[in-house]
Amino acid sequence: MEATPTPIISTRGLTKHYGRIVALEDLTLEVRPGEIFGFLGPNGAGKSTMIRTLLGFLHPTRGVGRVLDMDVVEQSVEIRRRTGYLPGGIALYDSMTGEQVLDYLARLQGRVARRRVRLAERLQMPSSDLRRKVRDYSRGMRQKLGIIQALQHDPELAILDEPSEGLDPLMQQAFYGVLADLREEGRTVFFSSHVLPEVERVCDRVGIIRHGRLMAVHDVRELLARRRRKVSIRWRGAAPEPGTIPGLEDVTVDGDRLFGTLHGDVSEFVRAVASPSLEDLTIEPASLEEAFLEYYADDVAEPVA
Amino acid sequence: MSFPLFARTLAWQRARWIIVGLATFGWGVLIPVIYSAFSDAMRELATSGVIPEELLSFGSGSFFSLPGAVTLGTQHPMAIAMLGVFAVGATATAIAGERQRGTLEVMLSRPLTRRGAYLTVLAALLLVVAAVLAALLVGFVVGAAMQGILDDLPVEHLPMTFLNGFLLWGAFTTFGMAASVSFDRPGPAIGLSLAYLLVNYFFEILGSLWRDVEWTQEYSLFHHFQPAEILQGALDPLDLVITGIAFVVPIAYALLVFPRRDLAAPT
Repeated sequence: MEATPTPIISTRGLTKHYGRIVALEDLTLEVRPGEIFGFLGPNGAGKSTMIRTLLGFLHPTRGVGRVLDMDVVEQSVEIRRRTGYLPGGIALYDSMTGEQVLDYLARLQGRVARRRVRLAERLQMPSSDLRRKVRDYSRGMRQKLGIIQALQHDPELAILDEPSEGLDPLMQQAFYGVLADLREEGRTVFFSSHVLPEVERVCDRVGIIRHGRLMAVHDVRELLARRRRKVSIRWRGAAPEPGTIPGLEDVTVDGDRLFGTLHGDVSEFVRAVASPSLEDLTIEPASLEEAFLEYYADDVAEPVA
Repeated sequence: MSFPLFARTLAWQRARWIIVGLATFGWGVLIPVIYSAFSDAMRELATSGVIPEELLSFGSGSFFSLPGAVTLGTQHPMAIAMLGVFAVGATATAIAGERQRGTLEVMLSRPLTRRGAYLTVLAALLLVVAAVLAALLVGFVVGAAMQGILDDLPVEHLPMTFLNGFLLWGAFTTFGMAASVSFDRPGPAIGLSLAYLLVNYFFEILGSLWRDVEWTQEYSLFHHFQPAEILQGALDPLDLVITGIAFVVPIAYALLVFPRRDLAAPT
């Protein structure tokens, strides 16, 4: 039997309280090697607290956390040596140029910035931009510089707190390309976000946090496969009896057009509606957002044990 | 210790380091010049009784001897302000300022221990304080040489004067750094460090000007740095012990407290 690989991040009962304020409660989670794990939740849900605890900025009230098989309290320095971190709303040294910031942080890291050139190309940060003072950077440029500083030393694990914040759509695409490169090279990425389409696009698995509690961990593909789709069909002539179409629910008919919600296997549904009289068929693309809204509609979901 | 952080701390506001260093040197040069020009007049004023003697021995210094003038030069508000720029201003903002700006977490996301980061920044700032203090003492020597009164300044005791002065200003520096690691914003750290400096200064000056409360001077760190006595070969070892303790205790506190602090996301 093949041994299960050691998780890159694992927490057991991780809890952080500030006095009476519960920032994290009994959080148990595993991030596997080589995956892109999205940590999803609204602002104030505890995403940054979790990240800061993993990196040793915060001391857990209870529970255990391990990163790269090292204890987050006892071996924090070694964890940070092998990790790249992008803080949320990153602040950089305004009086330095972008290049000086990257050089300085690479020296502090004690590792060669072997990925810098490739990242700068991907994120369209030419040398002329890097030679400008950070104080003259736009928010998007600061974010790009933040991403480069986090990944330039080619870390085994990247922890990114809302990495696409402030990036324009083109740069977001470029950033997703960077994540794809990392995935191909077997690197692990743990990133927080409150943007569902982003998570849907880039993540292998997603954990949802709310009020400091981990509500669920899902495989993104499975989640997308099992959630409902909106369907619109038009036939020439008589439409088949809606009850005969498998998986179709909430059916309404408006003239020659039929609307409904599809549950389950798409191929079975397509076989059922395919006929020479079929004129138009629209299946709305999967949206993780709807899946989550559906999943948490009643806001009473039990946290993951 | 991290060399990149050490170099970066030294480079931080280096223009201010240089300007204040030069100004302190200039102040040091000026003291023997003033002493040469006005010591006789001051002596006459003192003996005439027009000015109370206490006013002529401000902060345990005097213009009746060059070593006394050196004490006056080190305890004058001008010198306090110039050395305080670093011992209070720079230190109190060193960590708390980075914390408020959000750059501290970028720095600490590297493989640095908090103790290592603290000691590195402290070492760099102590080096700056030492350099400024040295500039002041070198200024005294240059000024005395320019006035042809170098014989009045026993330079063989200058290293000990430097050591005692460094322990005094180092104590304010380590206090400022301890405050800096204790707060998330530089405001409270500066306030506390400045209050510490001013209370010490107030006790020293109050005791020197008002003989009835002379005892307050014993509670001032400034009273435990007397260049006149040191230059005349009469250093009280207790002064080194007291300033040494005041130097070390905030370091021990910071080494204990900083690693245990929770560094939540900057607001």
